[in-house]
Amino acid sequence: MATRDRPITLRERASVAGRVVLAAGGGYGIAALSAALLSLALPLARPEAVAAATLASFVLMPAIVVAVFAMRSLRRAALMLAGTALVLGSALALAMRGAP
Amino acid sequence: MKGRFRPSMAWLHTWSGLVVGWVLFVIFVTGTASYYRADITRWMRPELVQAAPVAAAELPKAAERAVAYLETHALKARTWFIGMPQPDRPLLDLFWRTRPGAPPGHVLLDPHTGREAMVRDTEGGDFLYRFHYELHLPPLWGRWIVGFCAMIMLVALVSGIVTHKRIFADFFTFRRGKAPRRSFLDAHNVTGVLALPFHLMITYTGVVALTTFYMPWGVTTAYKGDTRAFFAEAGWITTPRPPVGRPAALAPVGPMIAQALATVPERLERLTVTNFGDAGATIVALFEEPHGLAHTPTHIAFDGASGALLEIRGGDLKPAAKTISTLIGLHVAHFADTGLRLLFFLCGVMGSAMVATGLVLWSLARLPKPDATPSFGLRLVQALNIGSIAGLPAAVAVYFLANRLLPLGLADRGEWEIRAFFAAWIVAALIPLARPHRRAWSEMSMLVAGLCLAVVAADIATVEAHPLRRLGEGEALFLWFDGAMLALAALFAFAARKVARHRGPSRSEPRREPVLAAPAERACA
Amino acid sequence: MTPAILALDLGLSFAALVALCLSLNRHHAEISGTRPSGRRVALLRVLGWAGLALGLLVAGEAEGWSFGPVRWVGALSGAGAGLVLLLSYRPRLVAPAGAAALGLALAGGALLHVA
Repeated sequence: MATRDRPITLRERASVAGRVVLAAGGGYGIAALSAALLSLALPLARPEAVAAATLASFVLMPAIVVAVFAMRSLRRAALMLAGTALVLGSALALAMRGAP
Repeated sequence: MKGRFRPSMAWLHTWSGLVVGWVLFVIFVTGTASYYRADITRWMRPELVQAAPVAAAELPKAAERAVAYLETHALKARTWFIGMPQPDRPLLDLFWRTRPGAPPGHVLLDPHTGREAMVRDTEGGDFLYRFHYELHLPPLWGRWIVGFCAMIMLVALVSGIVTHKRIFADFFTFRRGKAPRRSFLDAHNVTGVLALPFHLMITYTGVVALTTFYMPWGVTTAYKGDTRAFFAEAGWITTPRPPVGRPAALAPVGPMIAQALATVPERLERLTVTNFGDAGATIVALFEEPHGLAHTPTHIAFDGASGALLEIRGGDLKPAAKTISTLIGLHVAHFADTGLRLLFFLCGVMGSAMVATGLVLWSLARLPKPDATPSFGLRLVQALNIGSIAGLPAAVAVYFLANRLLPLGLADRGEWEIRAFFAAWIVAALIPLARPHRRAWSEMSMLVAGLCLAVVAADIATVEAHPLRRLGEGEALFLWFDGAMLALAALFAFAARKVARHRGPSRSEPRREPVLAAPAERACA
Repeated sequence: MTPAILALDLGLSFAALVALCLSLNRHHAEISGTRPSGRRVALLRVLGWAGLALGLLVAGEAEGWSFGPVRWVGALSGAGAGLVLLLSYRPRLVAPAGAAALGLALAGGALLHVA
């Protein structure tokens, strides 16, 4: 594979660095939002919902990291994360209004 | 990204591994040592090793002596922790905190007399254990740094798996005779792949072990941030009871302990006394967990004023809570007997070796041409590599050595052991800066080997009960510990010889055969 | 009965890994100096994977399905580490060691059966 022996350019490195930041910050942010939302929304007893939601969030975070690195472009990955965060955030706002 | 996915992952693996590698190495080594935390503590308090264990029938009286001591010395504290005598520490271990920020009180009592025990002041294995997840920093900082590194470790593992495309074909491959870069790459792959289930498990469960610390947001929304209420509802702890504000004397503790001991077959580990002097005083007895993977110790709560049993918790958890308990149980491996503990330890050693070889590999892949001067970055990485990979073992050996050699009456002796640890580490990290790189490797390795031998010598010289001084009689623990130190010394002496004998990092002759670098290296070579 | 189970787990894992290792051309050449035939490779692979599966089954049955798998994975890592070291320092001993490991596993199994 000839392409692989070509050194990686600065631009590509910046792209990977951007993905690192996006994966770490976005990954944690979405995992946190999902933990907060699912703790309220899961149809389980309250402690079970919190425990399950928190456990799931620790799986979600690495999954998001991998997804961010698997996306074709950084912009696309950022848009995906922003969209997910928006959906989760508005659902959370609704759930919190519903909760006493 | 098409066609560039693997190189990107290789890049990610290389750099994510490098930036947290030194901290990960420290976490892995101290965590691996923590599998033998109780044994290390026992070794560091040799005067206790042959003390008779405390019979269960004496525990109620011992608990009353502990409470009597705390009533005179820690009246202002909100919570008292009373560690009950254990097989590895036949003493009462009292701990209390008067107010946040103030240094906590800590004292060891003789359970038979209630007086302060005549035992050397040391943190023992607990220092290494806490270093594993707090790095001897303020807890908030230490835990976040460790958690961050653990998440990066997960990323490095996943990207490493993706990068390593011949994972099955190279499963057993370790070519030790080849160029160092080749051998180190093989060693990195083999230690990573062979113990991969362990690495994934230990990293993930390590994050879960502090689950509500790293991910408190579910508790924030569902419990308004009251973590203890969540723990109590999930069934891990007994219901917290706030002070009532009305004074009341504490009922005798002995009968409560006797009742608790009659209820639970496991070993009593600790008592927690909250709100002393208040009508809402509570005494919680914490027992060792029942045999099983899950970490589910039994708690029994008593009303402090009346002595009535309030509730029993533990064991019967719902699925999600049980899952968390099981993951934590897997991480701390309290269930492991001798054989399994050794296997876990071995896996931890492989993890440490994986991180160490990965770090060295980074610098080997960037060695300059013979006549070029190494860049600042390379020199920094090389120095940090020696400072952590050889420096930490040197510091741990000095910690053990200080435990044997510092005068017994020294004030703050336990603190001085820790100071010796850090002083040794700083020196060990500075020496390589003044020496040529490869010389520094072999000298530092020899230094570690020498320090480990010194630990053995100091052990034999200062401990009366050492089997070698009693013709095989005496406590076998010392033999095991010294054996482990000798093994470590042999390992570092072997490494020192290897480095010293090696002719040079393949710069003397031009490479004939192309080195089959893995993508991780190739992508950034 | 921990030592018996440990012997069984470790022995079976080691023997199975030796079979899988022998099924790879490069290692087969290191160990015996020859290339394995196609049929031999297939046989070794089947034996190796069967050995691993049997190890999991035995561990699970002997110790319950919570402890068994944990011990099985641990034994597999330990046996693998031993095999890699043996392979790189004394490759000629790998095949006899595999046979000895199988013997160890049988002895552990017999002990377990008696108890």
